[in-house]
Amino acid sequence: MRAKAKLYPKEAARLLREKPGVREAVTGATLHFERNRLKAYAEVPIEEWRERAKAVKDHVLTHLDHYLELAERRLRENGVQVHWAETPEDAHRVLREVVHRRGVKRAVKAKSMLTEELGVNPLLESLGVEVYETDLGEYLIQLLGEPPSHIVGPAIHLSLGEIQKLFHARFGTPLDASPEALAQVARRVLREAFLSAELGLSGANFLVAETGTLALMENEGNIRLSTSLPKVHVAFVGIEKLLPRFADLALFLPLTARAATGQRLATFVSLIQGPAREGEEGPEEVHVVLVDHGRTALLHDLEAWETLRCLRCGACLNACPVYRQTGGHPYGYVYSGPIGAVLDPGLLTLEEAYPLPYASTLCGACYEACPVKIPIPRLLLTWRHRAAEEGLTPSWEHGAMRAFRKVMESPALYRLFSKGLRGLPLPQDLLPLLKAWTEGRGPLRPSPKPFHELWKEVADGR
Amino acid sequence: MDARTRILARVRRALRERPKALLPEHPHLLPKEDPLALFLDRLRENGAEGHLLDEEGARALLQGFPGAAFGRGVPEAFRLLPELPPEEAPLGVSWALFAVAETGSVALSGEDGRKAQLLPPTHLVLVEAKRVYGTLLEALQDLNGLPSALGLHSGPSKSADIGQVMVKGVHGPGRLIVAVLL
Amino acid sequence: MRVALFITCLADQFYAEAGVAAVRLLRALGVEVDFPEGQTCCGQPAFNAGHWDEARPLAKRTLEVFEEAEYVVLPSGSCASMVKNHYPELLPGNREALAMAEKTYELSQFLVRVLGVEKLGEGLKGRKVAYHHGCHALRELGVREEPLLLLQNAGAEVLPWEAWEECCGFGGLFSVKLPEVSLAMADRKLATLPEAEVLTSTDAGCLLHLSGRMGKKGLGLRVAPLATLLWEAYAG
Repeated sequence: MRAKAKLYPKEAARLLREKPGVREAVTGATLHFERNRLKAYAEVPIEEWRERAKAVKDHVLTHLDHYLELAERRLRENGVQVHWAETPEDAHRVLREVVHRRGVKRAVKAKSMLTEELGVNPLLESLGVEVYETDLGEYLIQLLGEPPSHIVGPAIHLSLGEIQKLFHARFGTPLDASPEALAQVARRVLREAFLSAELGLSGANFLVAETGTLALMENEGNIRLSTSLPKVHVAFVGIEKLLPRFADLALFLPLTARAATGQRLATFVSLIQGPAREGEEGPEEVHVVLVDHGRTALLHDLEAWETLRCLRCGACLNACPVYRQTGGHPYGYVYSGPIGAVLDPGLLTLEEAYPLPYASTLCGACYEACPVKIPIPRLLLTWRHRAAEEGLTPSWEHGAMRAFRKVMESPALYRLFSKGLRGLPLPQDLLPLLKAWTEGRGPLRPSPKPFHELWKEVADGR
Repeated sequence: MDARTRILARVRRALRERPKALLPEHPHLLPKEDPLALFLDRLRENGAEGHLLDEEGARALLQGFPGAAFGRGVPEAFRLLPELPPEEAPLGVSWALFAVAETGSVALSGEDGRKAQLLPPTHLVLVEAKRVYGTLLEALQDLNGLPSALGLHSGPSKSADIGQVMVKGVHGPGRLIVAVLL
Repeated sequence: MRVALFITCLADQFYAEAGVAAVRLLRALGVEVDFPEGQTCCGQPAFNAGHWDEARPLAKRTLEVFEEAEYVVLPSGSCASMVKNHYPELLPGNREALAMAEKTYELSQFLVRVLGVEKLGEGLKGRKVAYHHGCHALRELGVREEPLLLLQNAGAEVLPWEAWEECCGFGGLFSVKLPEVSLAMADRKLATLPEAEVLTSTDAGCLLHLSGRMGKKGLGLRVAPLATLLWEAYAG
């Protein structure tokens, strides 16, 4: 996927101006997720869970070469074909081979953020394959030609009215059709696709090294169907998705569910060990593509490597008051919200993702929500610091910060500035800031006298 | 050099001189006091139907369906409906490997047949009472020999993707009935 | 006991009365108050925006200004957290930074946790108060109960407010780098505001942002820093 993260400030402003409905839909949905998460966290010793999950992930990441080799060995023993992909092109090559060899005309796809990164759909379409996104939300945005706006709820920016209009135009359903009726239409279309597709595509929530198990979580049943009905299943797995032991799933499956949707477990969990065995229903071929695409570079980063713990639960998006105003589209890349703001600069480059670390007030709600304790606020600061060091911040900002430092370094200048606020001219460099402030909030109204002048009166008056 | 070699080399380079994190042990959980009651409660909270039944009672559950698709492991005693292909059957009947009380889940093996678990609009799962674990950890630690695919089902298929309204039966079964056999 | 008041630049300029209130309150509780005159800004705006080279000299000079103080008290959660949590990060290995972090408190935190005061008086009897949890006070300092305790024990009714722990959208430079998002956040906060007589918070930045937005929207609610209300709690 081409990143448009640079446009974040403009796109966020434009969306707020032109599509106020998105803010309403996203706020409603994320607050709902957030209430459920809080309830689900309160039911268990969540601090212990988070600490343990963080420790397991840190262990895997600091022994990643070992676990990758172990996972590969186990997968092969299970009859799975293992491929390695550094780049989207590497992943495309695997798909191209499968499509040609098996004569694939139709593919059903389970929601996967990694396949967004890799541009799997455009590739398959270019090969003449009809691709069906089968997660209901993902299907909706595929019909609209939009990217997902949330890791877990890709269509949360859409209102019921918009979906009714979409289905009316597409399938002739009445404009006031109920969500149940609309879902039944989608079920019929996609059921047909499940039964006829030659290829099933998925990501993975986890890959267990000990047993070579792919673990996938969902609520609709589309992942179970996508990985069970077609004759070939290809799973794309980021190399950070490993877990050491099968029993680690007993922590990570419930933890992810609680963080993502407030459930005790996702409605359907698929634990896949390989192709169907003699006489069984299920795929004849299972492929796992282990994908780097920027992850080894992140692992190298002594600070940002902690983002590799991410479970893609979306809890930080739901908790984020900045994300809530716009949803994910203005962020301009696969991962949005707080985790996007710290992950995208690592997966892309800081230059390409520059504005994203600034898409936060540093309120800290994301850190409290994160099931693996990724220090998102600290990493936001780290990326901002690097951006300033590399000269990526705008020159007016540099000028303003330098002027600010000069003023604040000297009590005498500060006192002069203080008078400036009350009528005398202010340093030119600070004027753009003042304008951006007053437009939405009215003129600044300083106290008649600053405290440092009042102090003398208080000090004398005791 | 191929992608594999390059990726592993970069991982090793990144981890050189990196402090290694220890792998924590699994927690030692207290056994759940009454896993059966908890299981039935959690199933209900997940939007599924749970029943504690003897064989006769479970057979009665099947009445009223014109036919069913059966999993391979379902004992003869419960195959009392005309067998239909899963694509057409109004009911799928499965035999669970085990169940988990704390999450309200049944575990279904690929060996039993995946279509009956997924295609019909209603899914009836039979599980022996002695196979109900208190916690997911116990269940996973106890598992010997993994099937090609293990499915954990904890309720009816559902989605809130359309206008945040919860809808059941989106792709998988919209109704999950679990009969715990005494 | 002797306290050095760190008024912080925003309160100095925009909520000077909060400084007066803090001084009077501390003195009334038997604490001697100094106001080191060299103080300016803690450097947080530059630090949070990534301009650490501009923030560092400000942090260093702040350490010098408050070197002699027994305690440093701020009528601001955000600036207190800058000193307590971020100075040691900004100046790694700097002993003075660790020492200052140890002795620095947000005002309500100081009253409750150091002075052990939970009741200031009954000056807020029957007053309906909306309390905004400043994010850094709440999540970085863990100041959640202290302000509520002091307000409620003085007779104030702190009204339930669904969004009271949500960020108001100020965020320092954020408010001018992403003004539309910042204002949308303020609007969400204000749309859920309960019917109070006064809106208060530990942080001048949040209050400046919210009161500016309220003015723009024609909302006429009184906005007062927590220090001001705590003095009223004492003095009636």
